[in-house]
Amino acid sequence: MTTVENLDLLDERRARHALAVEGLSKAYGEGADAVRILEDLDVRVDPNEIVCIVGPSGVGKTTLLRCLAGLLAPTAGTVTFGTDRMTGPISQVGVVFQDYSRSLLPWMRTGENVAFPLQGKGMRRAERHALAQQCLSAVGLPDAGRKYPWQLSGGMQQRAAIARALAYQSEVLLMDEPFASVDAQTRFDLEDLVLDLRKRLGISVVVVTHDIDEAVYLADRVVVLSGHPATVVDVVDVPFGQDRDQIQTKAEPAFTEARARILGRIRH
Amino acid sequence: MTAMLLNPLRILLRLLERLWLVVALFAIWWFASANSTSVYFPALSRIWDALRRGVTDGTIRSDLAYSLTNIVIGILLATVVGAAVGIAVGELEGLRRVLDPFLQFARSVPQSALIPIVIGALGIGQAPKIYMIAFACVWPVLLNAIDGVRAIAPEVRDMAKAYRIPRRLWLRRMVLPAAMPQIMAGIRVALAVGVVVMVVSEIFSATEGIGHFINNAGSVFDIPSAWAGTLIVGALGYVLSVAFVLVEKATLGWYFKSAGTASGAARLRTRGKAAK
Repeated sequence: MTTVENLDLLDERRARHALAVEGLSKAYGEGADAVRILEDLDVRVDPNEIVCIVGPSGVGKTTLLRCLAGLLAPTAGTVTFGTDRMTGPISQVGVVFQDYSRSLLPWMRTGENVAFPLQGKGMRRAERHALAQQCLSAVGLPDAGRKYPWQLSGGMQQRAAIARALAYQSEVLLMDEPFASVDAQTRFDLEDLVLDLRKRLGISVVVVTHDIDEAVYLADRVVVLSGHPATVVDVVDVPFGQDRDQIQTKAEPAFTEARARILGRIRH
Repeated sequence: MTAMLLNPLRILLRLLERLWLVVALFAIWWFASANSTSVYFPALSRIWDALRRGVTDGTIRSDLAYSLTNIVIGILLATVVGAAVGIAVGELEGLRRVLDPFLQFARSVPQSALIPIVIGALGIGQAPKIYMIAFACVWPVLLNAIDGVRAIAPEVRDMAKAYRIPRRLWLRRMVLPAAMPQIMAGIRVALAVGVVVMVVSEIFSATEGIGHFINNAGSVFDIPSAWAGTLIVGALGYVLSVAFVLVEKATLGWYFKSAGTASGAARLRTRGKAAK
């Protein structure tokens, strides 16, 4: 569906490092009033892997993602990228936010939005615009650069947000409920885009979602969070490889099996 | 083709739509006051004569130029200072907590009441008048800028953090444009305040300016000239507001054009709240 051409600038996106949390706990507040959200989590994202994090709403999925992004300091435990301990956001890890209508800046054209974080890195103007254009093409928006984000549909805006994360040299994409506010057809297209980018660019992806079907369809591994405070109650390996199909994959017995197992763990 | 033919016609119709009431009211005033013998409410024809006299002998023109210079520089000064300080205060939580009571106090002081003090302290020259206008106009800009910065969505801050946007770039390309709609709303309020302070500042011991022209005419019982000056001030306010709208459209193109979309409409609502 989406083709990726001209990979010369995008080549270096291939993931080489694992992103992992070990013994991660997070609590808000201190002392007796502290609200414990996450307790002793171990999650590992190997290079070129798609990991989905599922769980009931309010369980702390977004909190885990914010810790992985370096946006939130854990109360206990470590976040490591490769062999380095992460203490804040790093450019190898890009974030795609749930609310694209806010995270894309309405006063910049889409191309500028994609190129903007590169300006902070000190990249020259011509170079960053060339890279932005390439990333927009990679997500299937070759002609959207001159338009403003609010002139694009929801699905196209989320594609632009993905392009921005790609342009920022990220080898790991963290996506927080990325397709929660688009229609079903667009959702399928975007899921296939994520699979396509993983295969062609070799990036790793972490997707937080409440949709179990989506998690099983996308993931090599599904991490199931449950409880208060949340712990990892199950890790489900999904055996479909890199090539998947919305109809065939979802019809396979292994899909139904994985789905039923996850649902069972969440309901308990 | 039809569009090209229709365009001048459409512009003419728009102009007529805006002007007919003004023209009608002046016509009514003209005829109703034609036989007026009142000293304070002279016939419009006499006011018109006074206006023409003032314009041809140059007094109104030079007074107007003086006033216009004052208000334009004053507003520009207020905008730069108000936006800069407002963004700083909006960004720095600690600073805001310390300054908030002072800001509320300062903006509640009636600006015209300070004019005698300022003129006493700084003299009757042009600079003190500009400072007065700037001082009066800075508050709406400043307070709106603070609101604008505080209204920035947490998602936008997260994005800047995740993509490690450096501080200067964050202020220039993210905070300033995000707060711009509110800052513009503040300038709109400042414009009205500025015209009042401009006139009043020229009434106290001034030698030039449209306020001085009105005051002078009134004190020698040249009431038609006083009326003429007042009409000039009204026209000046109108021209300034038209100029402002043009500037606003140029700087906030994205903002007005996005208003038709859902996210744009949400932004418009937040600005409406903050402008009050």
